[in-house]
Amino acid sequence: MNKMPDEPEEMKITPWEVTGDIDYDKLIDQFGVQPMTRDIEDRIAKHAGFKHLQLRRGVYLSHRDTDWWLNEYEKGNKVGLYTGRGPSGNVHLGHLLPWFFTKYLQDAFDADLYFQMTDDEKYMYRDYLELEETIGNTYDNALDLIACGFDPKKTHIISDTENISHLYKIAVKVAKRVTYSTVKAVFGFKDSDNIGMIWFPAVQAAPCFVQSDREGRNIPCLIPAAIDQDPYWRMTRDIAEKLNYYKPAQIHAKFLPGLAQGGKMSASQPDTAIFTTDPPKKAEKKIMKAFTGGRDTVEEQKKLGGRPEICNVYAYYYFLFEENDQKLVDIENECRSGAIMCGDCKKRLAERIKVFLADFQEKREKAKDVLDDFFIKPVEG
Amino acid sequence: MRRFIVVNKTVVTPWAVSGEIDYDKLIERFGTKRIDRDLLERIRNHTGTLHMHLRRGIFYSHRDMDRILDEHEKGNRFVLYTGRGPSGPVHLGHLVPWLFTKHLQDVFGAKLFFQFTDDEKLMLRPEFSEADTRHWVYENSLDLMALGFDPEKTEFIVNLRHPENVYPIAIQIAKKTTISTIKAVFGFNGDSSTGLMFFPSIQAAPCFIESYRTGEQVPMFNPSWDRSGHILEDNP
Repeated sequence: MNKMPDEPEEMKITPWEVTGDIDYDKLIDQFGVQPMTRDIEDRIAKHAGFKHLQLRRGVYLSHRDTDWWLNEYEKGNKVGLYTGRGPSGNVHLGHLLPWFFTKYLQDAFDADLYFQMTDDEKYMYRDYLELEETIGNTYDNALDLIACGFDPKKTHIISDTENISHLYKIAVKVAKRVTYSTVKAVFGFKDSDNIGMIWFPAVQAAPCFVQSDREGRNIPCLIPAAIDQDPYWRMTRDIAEKLNYYKPAQIHAKFLPGLAQGGKMSASQPDTAIFTTDPPKKAEKKIMKAFTGGRDTVEEQKKLGGRPEICNVYAYYYFLFEENDQKLVDIENECRSGAIMCGDCKKRLAERIKVFLADFQEKREKAKDVLDDFFIKPVEG
Repeated sequence: MRRFIVVNKTVVTPWAVSGEIDYDKLIERFGTKRIDRDLLERIRNHTGTLHMHLRRGIFYSHRDMDRILDEHEKGNRFVLYTGRGPSGPVHLGHLVPWLFTKHLQDVFGAKLFFQFTDDEKLMLRPEFSEADTRHWVYENSLDLMALGFDPEKTEFIVNLRHPENVYPIAIQIAKKTTISTIKAVFGFNGDSSTGLMFFPSIQAAPCFIESYRTGEQVPMFNPSWDRSGHILEDNP
């Protein structure tokens, strides 16, 4: 069992790094975004026919203009979705969290999804990554996306490097209006950074407008993504209207914690992340070593009970693996009352994750046959 | 504000050339080499007679042209690369290097990549629209074809239209090029657009396109006016 540290670790949230104890209220304040409202959650649920677990449990903490995007849909207008992935390695559960929700939105709003694989940026950012590797990861990670059940007719994966022809013109028009001072202020670039990195924000902005370009009329775009990506959208919103597009709307997800204390699940700490390709046995071993809210001794645990509010095992039930709200309360009560020890609780979670992984890996395997169907195609006609 | 390379009252940058031009000083500033009598003789050995532009010293300095001849003499092929920013009608000044390029294509049988930097023009000119660049790419390509380039050995690269030709190469160049470097070479500053700051890697990309496509090292020769300052990564 783990000890609490005396001091919270300092929070650091950028598109490239998320560390420390995350204070979401502070983030909403710092990023100047709008807090999520019950009204927005209910309106999404109404169109979907049910309220997604992630909406019920406050995974979406804030937004920009999601209410406007819903208004447009309710007026009978077509709406679109955009999200993406930096293909630097394998996909883990933290990546799947917003993808599951995006799939729910695609179904609810009958929306096309543009999904960007930023294999150009990952290659330019990471010294040790070769271009062949990041492009390879694009195709590998696409299997995970497909395994989430997206509609092949309405899903358009874009590899920045291989499908640049779908983005370049828009990116050039964006970059024309984004100065070096702006990206320095927004992203903190330095003169020792490479020129690809300062260009890239325009490439990440481009898919916000790609559906409008392809369909020849403005289509409201909503971006479900973790909140660390917000600086890109802030920049994009500033120039959207100059290019005669709508400002893209955002709905911001919290991070899935890693298995260790603090920060988010991160591929750079492979022992503390559950990858979709982990053999179920290996995932079980990782879970058994997870940080929990347990006490130092069995005796203390029985007397004082555990602390689900700081427990990562509980967080996995909460975010992903206990669909039923009443059963989630039961798990919490068992923990707080000291009725269950962390080891048993971990075993129970590990069983669920093993079942999940076996099923997901089967879908992932089948995705290999339909991979091409999901990549962006030129507009017909 | 760009940092101009000023020789006396002379301004020579990729975007502006003005004043009295002292070509000796330019060679010094840009660190290129004069095309000397020996090199001219070597060229004459391959071409029979020297092209007017060489006889009259219009093409007067170079980087590694001797290396290109070494490769040619070893029986290895090389390719040619030049280009145009399609911002208006072509005038006689543009034709001079193109005529010389055509001569090189004819005598060495070399493949030519010709880049239309419509992306740069779109970003550089506040009033320029995509339709403008499309118009001038079309118009200017007629001028090129009128010069008689061999269609079998000439490939136009229109950046906005087919970025997939250059982008995967450009990001490899960009990864190795720092902001400090392009600030020093081109004089960019905080007001510069991020697109223009990335653009040197797009302009450099065709230098490696043949090697990228074939997987072999193919030397590249780049006949152009003296608006150097292009980032020359692997010494084309």
